Amino acid sequence: MWRGLWTLVARAARGPRRPQSVHPPAAEPTSGSTSALRDRNPVIFRPQTLQSVHPPAAELPLGPRPCTRQGSGAPAPGSGATVFALSSGQGRCGIAVIRTSGPASGQALRSLTAPRDLPPARKACLRLLSDPRSGEPLDRALVLWFPGPQSFTGEDCAEFHVHGGPAVVSGVLQALGSVPGLRPAEAGEFTRRAFALGKLSLTEVEGLADLIHAETEAQRRQALRQLDGELSHLCRGWAETLTKALAHVEAYIDFGEDDNLEEGILDRADSEVRELEVALGAHLRDARRGQRLRSGAHVVVAGPPNAGKSSLVNLLSRKPVSIVSPEPGTTRDVLETPVDLAGFPALLSDTAGLREGVGPVEQEGVRRAQKRLEQADLILAVLDASDLASPSSCNFLDTVVMPAGAGSPNGRSQRLLLVLNKSDLLPAGGPDPSADLPPYLLLSCLTGVGTHPQAHHF
Amino acid sequence: MFSFRGCGRWVAASLTKQHHPSSRFSGDSAAPWTPHFDVVVIGGGHAGTEAAAAAARCGSRTLLLTHRVDTIGQMSCNPSFGGIGKGHLMREVDALDGLCSRICDQSGVHYKVLNRRKGPAVWGLRAQIDRKLYKQNMQKEILNTPLLTVQEGAVEDLILTEPEPEHTGKYRVSGVVLVDGSTVYAESVVLTTGTFLRGMIVIGLEMHPAGRLGDQPSIGLAQTLEKLGFVVGRLKTGTPPRIAKESINFSILNKQTPDNPSIPFSFINETVWIKPEDQLPCHLTHTNPQVDEIVLENLHLNCHVKETAKGPRYCPSIESKVLRFPNRLHQVWLEPEGMDSDLIYPQGLSVTLPAELQEKMITCIRGLEKAKMIQPGYGVQYDYLDPRQITPSLETHLVQRLFFAGQINGTTGYEEAAAQGVIAGINASLRVRHKPPFVISRTEGYIGVLIDDLTTLGTNEPYRMFTSRAEFRLSLRPDNADSRLTFRGYKEAGCVSQQRYERATWMKSSLEEGISVLKSIEFPSSKWKNLIPEASISIGKSLPLRALDVLKYEEVDIELLAKAVPEPLRKYTKCRELAERLKIEATYESVLFHQQQEIKEVQRDEALQLPKDLDYLTLRDVSLSHEVREKLHFSRPQTIGAASRIPGVTPAAIINLLRFVKTTQQRQAAMDRLPKTDQHLCNTDKLEDRQL
Repeated sequence: MWRGLWTLVARAARGPRRPQSVHPPAAEPTSGSTSALRDRNPVIFRPQTLQSVHPPAAELPLGPRPCTRQGSGAPAPGSGATVFALSSGQGRCGIAVIRTSGPASGQALRSLTAPRDLPPARKACLRLLSDPRSGEPLDRALVLWFPGPQSFTGEDCAEFHVHGGPAVVSGVLQALGSVPGLRPAEAGEFTRRAFALGKLSLTEVEGLADLIHAETEAQRRQALRQLDGELSHLCRGWAETLTKALAHVEAYIDFGEDDNLEEGILDRADSEVRELEVALGAHLRDARRGQRLRSGAHVVVAGPPNAGKSSLVNLLSRKPVSIVSPEPGTTRDVLETPVDLAGFPALLSDTAGLREGVGPVEQEGVRRAQKRLEQADLILAVLDASDLASPSSCNFLDTVVMPAGAGSPNGRSQRLLLVLNKSDLLPAGGPDPSADLPPYLLLSCLTGVGTHPQAHHF
Repeated sequence: MFSFRGCGRWVAASLTKQHHPSSRFSGDSAAPWTPHFDVVVIGGGHAGTEAAAAAARCGSRTLLLTHRVDTIGQMSCNPSFGGIGKGHLMREVDALDGLCSRICDQSGVHYKVLNRRKGPAVWGLRAQIDRKLYKQNMQKEILNTPLLTVQEGAVEDLILTEPEPEHTGKYRVSGVVLVDGSTVYAESVVLTTGTFLRGMIVIGLEMHPAGRLGDQPSIGLAQTLEKLGFVVGRLKTGTPPRIAKESINFSILNKQTPDNPSIPFSFINETVWIKPEDQLPCHLTHTNPQVDEIVLENLHLNCHVKETAKGPRYCPSIESKVLRFPNRLHQVWLEPEGMDSDLIYPQGLSVTLPAELQEKMITCIRGLEKAKMIQPGYGVQYDYLDPRQITPSLETHLVQRLFFAGQINGTTGYEEAAAQGVIAGINASLRVRHKPPFVISRTEGYIGVLIDDLTTLGTNEPYRMFTSRAEFRLSLRPDNADSRLTFRGYKEAGCVSQQRYERATWMKSSLEEGISVLKSIEFPSSKWKNLIPEASISIGKSLPLRALDVLKYEEVDIELLAKAVPEPLRKYTKCRELAERLKIEATYESVLFHQQQEIKEVQRDEALQLPKDLDYLTLRDVSLSHEVREKLHFSRPQTIGAASRIPGVTPAAIINLLRFVKTTQQRQAAMDRLPKTDQHLCNTDKLEDRQL
């Protein structure tokens, strides 16, 4: 009996990977049946091992298989798991580059380009990529094969230059996830491997660290956005199910015999996780569309009341999204509109002017605006250039603009762009020089002065 | 026989000399002198005895300082050793030639392996131990250990000097001051004060200072440590009342008999000192709603429960069980305290109610209706030091050559204490000899998991070992602790005897040979089915099966295989341990391949050492957030692997830290004039490569 159980228990409690960044569940590779996912999600059980009717040898084809090299079965010296990731930027682009690193790279390349063999080393070759499980074609792509140590990381690497549509990219990532021995890379993992094998100089590493920081920050903000509302309920439920199942399995190992644990605790954990797997699969198939809508930079327009935020939104989106009026507090809710800024997809949000001591409806608007600020990739902070000394302007400068730039030496924030509107109302000398302002853009939504080369600033 | 208190303060030296005339130590003269030792260990509990014996085994002249010699080896709480996760620690202590496993093999009265229904990776070796025998055997062992001297005395203060410039730390310890004002000089000092640091005993509403019932606490030492700047916390624990054996009605209770045969704790023992049929049984009873009622009605008489200090989550008092899990029946194991003891230890009934209410509560329980309480249960509250203030070698960051081991680091349990004791003793000795520290990685042993968890994450409740804390538990099994640790202990620390080393070497080569023989025998599955009809081999597949694959079947063991294929398998049935270990190796063969990969990844990160003298708070040319700096500053991780396990340290911060590893490596490489840069990066086989 115990043989079946320890296999399960081993898999179940292999220990969580280091929690390094916030990954919303939706960002995981989609197919729940890939072996890579099995490896990462510690509580997905296999009934075959539970019932213990099959001999152990029969377990092998079901589980993650060893990543053999020419069938030798022996791990390469110093080998670890093989990792893969999208190496080019997120979002829409012409060509996306997906990279693998590790001993199973060759096998991954072979299984996606079957029946053809590995291309010559370091030569770009055109190959038809197809899903190794279904045989379904994915894309015609350039592939490159870099046997270690002459590669980016020093390990065996493969690169897939695919057409940059989200469907193609996620298809290839899923296919890679189904190759035995492969798992998605953690943040910074390629760099660490390259570094460990002496492939990166100090300056290169420093630059990469900044990049990784930016990426994980962007992921964190995206996770924050997704954890808003409906989805957050769902995710929390999933997380709870997983935690509970893990706790039950671990309690079973450590206390099962001694204490009076309820009977059938393992079977229950097993069936709960199975249900969850089905639910996750269904949600992922469903959520594809929503994800595309969410991609692109989130730009939030914020400022004190009546600074001209809605005018700016209307100007940028070239349509009357928000009602504009000279009356402060016109916009009370968050209004969203997808825009194309010089080719970059962005989601523009108009928010209520930030002020205190107003009615309950507007207060709720202010609260929502503040929440949006935390989740924004870019904040357009709008101020009335002719009214910089007013209490609401000063308050906004102190509480939003200055803190955003506080971390960097020149007081400049990468997440915040200060826009001074209503330049038409200013005297010839420009805005009040006494206000200690970070770098800003001066424009007038009314006359259009300063708005024409706008796209360059984003 | 073991009453030493009358024989003057210095004991053991004459015994030592008789057995080991070549010993360098000659400290038994009565003339006044200022004693000077390599290693001084303070405390004679489970951590202290292991630390002192380990330092002596490593060749250091060692002094064990304890309040009372006759309490050395005292089991102050439960009369048992081992259990799930804890049995693993004992096997590892034994692999390093530690004491507790061997002593338990001479002192047990009921040996039983827990978790037998599960895989051998999580079996929990456990035994009821005769308190008196354990203490006797431990004292005999300690007082006969070459190079080890024992002295009675309470330590009041540490002697501190200027730090060594080549190491980090604000001070260096160079000895201790006793309560009577005398001093002892030492190159290294190991503190294993258990619950004695400002210990307070609580029964009902009464509280009085004590380290253990009837023993004085250490207050001066606690103040010294606090003054030096150590972060001190408060924890609590408790022990149940003791009941007169003859007053219990065992006939109506469930009886548990010991294993037959008994599995010894130590690798060097084939069997234990006592036959299974001579061992004592344990009995099981349960609490009931009446017990809950007494607890709940009298919470106002129970200041231990109200205190804010945290107690052991996994060995809770009956009060916390009633409060946290109301309306449930809780198990109470009635455990013998020893062969000729009249006491029974009701495990699971730890309580701090006033004594008369304890007795009332006991008599509500089935089988205990007429029970007589001999000694009430009590609670202990004590100081512990945040273990993030020590390195994985258990030396403090703040004071050079000062080591902490045991409950002082926030753990609970004899085995956790013993495990830290061995490591502290070894490292205290290595430090004196200017050798690199002996650190066990979490990929190598439960000891590594224990110390890594403590030193990188800290703890705010008494830390107990569990198999679920070890992510690589399929490799870190009780059966293979010797092949994981004995060779390292022998080569790097010198704490392992020649005899044990040779036995481990023989076992390792026999296992390797056995596995390759089992791999080499291949028959079609139909032939196997005929040879071993008992096995449920499916003959659907035409693939040939190796003997190793057949051995994976639950119902097949070496015995059965050897009947089918007598040559060359017969010889593997001769040694019980070898036969069992071959079976276990076969069972885990296919899954261990993957675990080995994961282990290598972790080891790669752990081979990347962080400079010890890094001042994270002022480090200029590295961009780290203030939060990350503070976390790194407090925990002072020694490797990239440890740093990445600290919650809140981001991937970007790790990459930045890698730059420092590289710079240090370059500096070192220049110093060594070695062009090799990968020596840190590929420590593929620690066992073989490391030399003393």
